[in-house]
Formats: sequence, structure tokens, C-alpha cells
Amino acid sequence: MEKITLRITRSGGKRVNYEVKYRKGMTVLDALTEVREGQDSSLGYRHSCRMGICGSCGMTIEGLPTLACQTQVSSLNKETISVEPLHNMTVVRDLVVDILPFFDLHRSVKPYLIRDDLEERDHSDREYRVLTREVGKFLQFDYCIMCGLCYAACPTAALDPYYTGPQAIAQAYRYMADPRDEGWEKRVNLLDTSHGVWRCHMAGACSFVCPKDVDPAKAVQFARMEILRKRIFGKKGKAGSKPVPPPGAPKEGVRPPPFDYGGAKK
Amino acid sequence: MKRDRRFGAGLISSLNPLGFNLERWSYVVHRATGVILVGYIMAHIFETFQLTGGITAWANTMSALHSLGPLEMVGLWIVAGSALYHGGNGIRLILNEAFGLFVGKPILPVYPYSPTSLGMSQKVAVWTITALVLALWIWAGLYLLAGLGVI
Repeated sequence: MEKITLRITRSGGKRVNYEVKYRKGMTVLDALTEVREGQDSSLGYRHSCRMGICGSCGMTIEGLPTLACQTQVSSLNKETISVEPLHNMTVVRDLVVDILPFFDLHRSVKPYLIRDDLEERDHSDREYRVLTREVGKFLQFDYCIMCGLCYAACPTAALDPYYTGPQAIAQAYRYMADPRDEGWEKRVNLLDTSHGVWRCHMAGACSFVCPKDVDPAKAVQFARMEILRKRIFGKKGKAGSKPVPPPGAPKEGVRPPPFDYGGAKK
Repeated sequence: MKRDRRFGAGLISSLNPLGFNLERWSYVVHRATGVILVGYIMAHIFETFQLTGGITAWANTMSALHSLGPLEMVGLWIVAGSALYHGGNGIRLILNEAFGLFVGKPILPVYPYSPTSLGMSQKVAVWTITALVLALWIWAGLYLLAGLGVI
């Protein structure tokens, strides 16, 4: 393979072909950069880190939502590669989509630690401790880079623009499962709606395309289990369970002294 | 109703599983069989509603249906297959949702990634249901053919 053709869907739906010289190790993002630098400087696409960390270069490559920087041209095994913007999002220009509504969905589930005691939250003199086995309940969902691929792959999001979406639900569950968080009730009420967790039909496409194995489909099912427990039994499930204090930890109700880092002089 | 201006959104896109995982194909079949069942229920309600017009109206409806010949049986066979798949796959989905079966536990992702919710247990569940449904569907087909006097 000496040359490849990028078939890019540009603003307005017009498909334009660009020929690029193939070189070993070339990613789709590299090919797009060559097009922009050598052939058409008006081509719009978004990227930043070029190594699958920032999640900016999400686009639909050969029908699948993928990070362009992580897609080797050789792995596609095709001479003509179709490149489209991410589905289920509004196009701003060429391959650049408006990701703000997606971020709004993320914000809507309160993706941060909620504490009942505001005084303790704002003027805490110690760190919140979590046991390793408690961390294991939510760490996987914490790896989300908010690239939007799961939302673009979701067939439910394709039909329902008000659907909370796999990413936001996974992040809600991430905090529901965090023993430091006290916003379990609020998040259950946010997710237990007609556009919330019950819209999911477990197509699993979100987990299939996730570049970080966050497995949003799993988080959605766990969130459903939590809500069912809440509605049927009126109590919390496994998520958000109280952490077991480590050996030697102060008794409940007694605030431990500030952590001594050693050697620090006042 | 406000037009959805999002790229690639809509019914056709949601029903296109090409290149995706097995569960996405299962989702498409589940939706399609659901639509067939809704259509059947509507037709069934319409059919039984003819009883309110008296025995003659009912007899006319039945004779119109029987005049379709083998097509009636083919329709019933499709409805039987739809009910079997929708029911069987529905049980898998309930087990997923209410009990977290086949989705695995939270793990520490290690490259190369392989999501546990689409792992071997989920695949086995999907294929088992598909195999059972196919077997029962063939049996239903033979039963209907016997009703036609073909076998």
C-alpha cells in the first residue's frame, strides 16, 4: 500500500476524497494532518495530545466512533478510509462537533463528591481516606477521558436527544460507588427518569468503542440495580457502602489529627 | 416537534449494527421483533373487535384471513419467532439490569482492553438464547406446516 484515500464527510454532508502517501506507523490523525498541511488548509478537525489521553480527536472512522490518534491506517486494511464527524452531535465544521451538550449531560449528574457537612467540606483539615477494596468499586469508571465515543455509538442517544447517555450515567455511578460521597440519593433521583437509566437497552456499543475500557454499559446496569434496590427495598445497594476503617484508625465520631508529613516545621 | 439536527442521529443510524459488537446486533433484532409484536397485537385487537359486529362480521374476517392461504401461516410463524426472541432476549436483559448477571464486576483495566460487560458470559448468554429460539422456531414452523397438512 503506497497511497491511501481519505473519504472525508465535510460540512454540509459533502464527501471529499484526499490522497495521502502512506508511511509505516501512520495513524488516521497523521493522515488528516498531512491533508491539512499539504492539500486543504480549510479542513477542520480537533486534536491535542496525539496519544489517546485527551479524547479530542474522536471521529467516526469506517463507521465506528474511534480516536483518530489511536487508529493505525494499517489496522483498517483498506485503501479508501471513510472519516465522518461523531454521530449524535451537531457539526460545527467538517469533523469538529459541538461537544458542549455532551459536557452539559456530564455536569447534570453532579460528577463530584457531595458532602452533607459543608463546614467539613470547605474547611477540612484532613484527607478523605478510602480503602483499596473500596477504590476497586469505582476506579474503572474514573478513567473516563470524556471523548464522547460512547455517546456517539449509543443507539438510544441516536433516538433520544434528552437521554442522559452512557458517559454521564457511568460518571454518576462512579460517585454513587464512592464511599466518600454522600450524594447517593440525589443521583438516584437524577437517573431514575424516563430519559435516565431506563432508556438504555444494553446494546453494549458504548463499552465496545470505549478507548479506556471504562465499560459504561456495566456502570449503567449497576446504576439500575442501585435504583431498583432503592425503589423496592428503600435502601442502598453495594454502591456507596460505608468504608471499613483501617486498623488503628480513630473511632467513629472522633476526628483524627491532621496528617503529619514529617519534618515540616511551622 | 423540533428537528434533530445532530449528525448521524435517527432511526436508521440506531438500527445500523455494522461493525459493532454482537450485543448491538441483538439490540436491533430485539427492537425489530418488538415492532412486529406490537403490529400483531394491533391486528389481533382489530380482529377480535370484529366480534362486536356480530357472527357474520366475524365469519367474514376469518374467511378473509384464511383466504391468504400459506401467507397466514408464514405471518404466524414470523410472529412466533418474534415472540420467542423478544421474550428470550428480554429475560437476558432483565438478568443484566436487575441482577447484574453477565456484566462482570468493576475491574482495573489492563491493555489490551476487553470490557467484561461484553465478555464471554454475555456472549454465551446471547448465543444460547439465539440457539434456543432457532430450535423452537423451527419446531413452531413444523407445527404450522402440520396444521396446513403439508407434513
